[in-house]
Amino acid sequence: MKFGALAAVQMVSFSLNPGEILGMIGPNGAGKTTLLNCVIGIHKPTSGRIFLNQIDITGMKPHKICRMGLAKTSQIMEPFMAMTVFENVLVGALHGGRMRMRLATEKTEKVIELVGLKQYAYKLSGSIPVPARRRLELARALASGANILLLDENMAGLNPHEIDEALEILKKIRNSGKSLIVIEHIMRVVMGISDRIIVLNYGSKIAEGFPEEVVNDESVIKAYLGDKLTSLKVA
Amino acid sequence: MNFKIDRIILIMFLGITAALAFLPNFVESEYLLRLITVVIFWIGIAGCWNMMSGYTGYIDFGPVVYFGIGSYVVAIAMTKYGIPFFPSLFISGVISGSVAFLVGIPTLRLKGAYFAIATFAFAEAMKQITLEFDRTFSVSFFQGSDGITLPISGHDNSFFFYCVLPVTFLVMLAHYFIEHSKFGYGLKAIKEAETAAEISGVNTTANKLGAYVSSAFFLGLFGAIEAYWITYITPSDVFNIQKTVQMVIMTLLGGMGTFLGPVIGATFLTLISESLGARFVEYYLIMIGGIIIVAILIMPNGIIGSLKIRKKLRFI
Repeated sequence: MKFGALAAVQMVSFSLNPGEILGMIGPNGAGKTTLLNCVIGIHKPTSGRIFLNQIDITGMKPHKICRMGLAKTSQIMEPFMAMTVFENVLVGALHGGRMRMRLATEKTEKVIELVGLKQYAYKLSGSIPVPARRRLELARALASGANILLLDENMAGLNPHEIDEALEILKKIRNSGKSLIVIEHIMRVVMGISDRIIVLNYGSKIAEGFPEEVVNDESVIKAYLGDKLTSLKVA
Repeated sequence: MNFKIDRIILIMFLGITAALAFLPNFVESEYLLRLITVVIFWIGIAGCWNMMSGYTGYIDFGPVVYFGIGSYVVAIAMTKYGIPFFPSLFISGVISGSVAFLVGIPTLRLKGAYFAIATFAFAEAMKQITLEFDRTFSVSFFQGSDGITLPISGHDNSFFFYCVLPVTFLVMLAHYFIEHSKFGYGLKAIKEAETAAEISGVNTTANKLGAYVSSAFFLGLFGAIEAYWITYITPSDVFNIQKTVQMVIMTLLGGMGTFLGPVIGATFLTLISESLGARFVEYYLIMIGGIIIVAILIMPNGIIGSLKIRKKLRFI
């Protein structure tokens, strides 16, 4: 994916297996969000192809890709402010899930229960705290019935206790048979839930493998995790 | 979700419309009947704008073009082809809607001010086309600035009351449908955050186009009714930007993207300009301007919009 002359993501290839949680890490500006935005159709990739169950979805419109079962939560949260939490999720069920009103209402109730947003259900989504908004993003994606969820820093800004709760929800989602790609900076989260991890730096993939392999990889440590402290001088 | 209150409002709305249908039997004064017809007429027109711009947040600054197209279609159909009024009326709506479909495909890709400018430009362009077409091609079709005189209907005010009422009723019914349907949630999602709507599965193009075309269809009907009512149309009358401004102000005053917004806004503004206009012939426009400024300062979301926020109501 190029923006003008700037290549944001280049020569990256990866795959996601059914039921898998794939972690994606890398320094800021490495191209993680851009990569996922290409996958769900917000950006049209300048080269390369994307396949979903052997079907080429490169360059398809985002709403079509969503209806095919690929939903993403955004790092920059964009709730439909003037709507209640319930209605926000309802949009996902009605349009993403292509359901009729009655079915969509039931689905929405279920999803809200699952992510633990019941107490906020009838509040305006512009008026709820950040952790709840993060869950709302997740709920909206879930309501569309997607089998693959792409979570772009869905836990940014949460405190350790809230992270634990969010992890529980993710495990529940995984156990219901969905696959996930998780972009996250919090290593505890990535290490804890990922089956596999890929590492991006300057728009290229620099490592891929099991969590333990990746964190001990020389290039990953250099690019992202930081060198081990070898000497410290205090003048 | 308070569906109970929504049902009550729907029943009240149906009841009021039904009661209005008997109105001409009781109102003796022709002036009063005409005034009520004008109010209902403007409720419908403001409602057309609200349907598109109020719910999607795409500020259409040229809705008058569909009104004008409706006027011209009915005039040409009746005078040049001798088609009776009601079939012509229907043709007006269909042609307005079809034009909106063709225009909407490119223009609805534009956002914010660019959409407003494009729609405004299209309305002005249509005015120039109807003005200059005949002279350029040496034909007599739109009859340029001479205008077209329609067959005198001979119908009284109550006839036009019964023309306007059902169309406005349908416009308001469409509002109710928008507030409670998949389509409407799509429109509201587009207004709030278009990209988020898209990745949540909303077919934004189809939804916007749907709103734009239905708004144009009804505007075409209103344009056709007005043309038959006043029996004489010219391009600068039917494509007058002032009509656009009036639709926008009425809806803003009542509350954009609300069910009752256009009703309250249009009623308020029509009645106030009527009553002030009779008393202060020279100054009434200044007074109305002042009232609008004060109202928007106090209630930035419009009368209904502010009420909705203050009372935490979902649907009105």
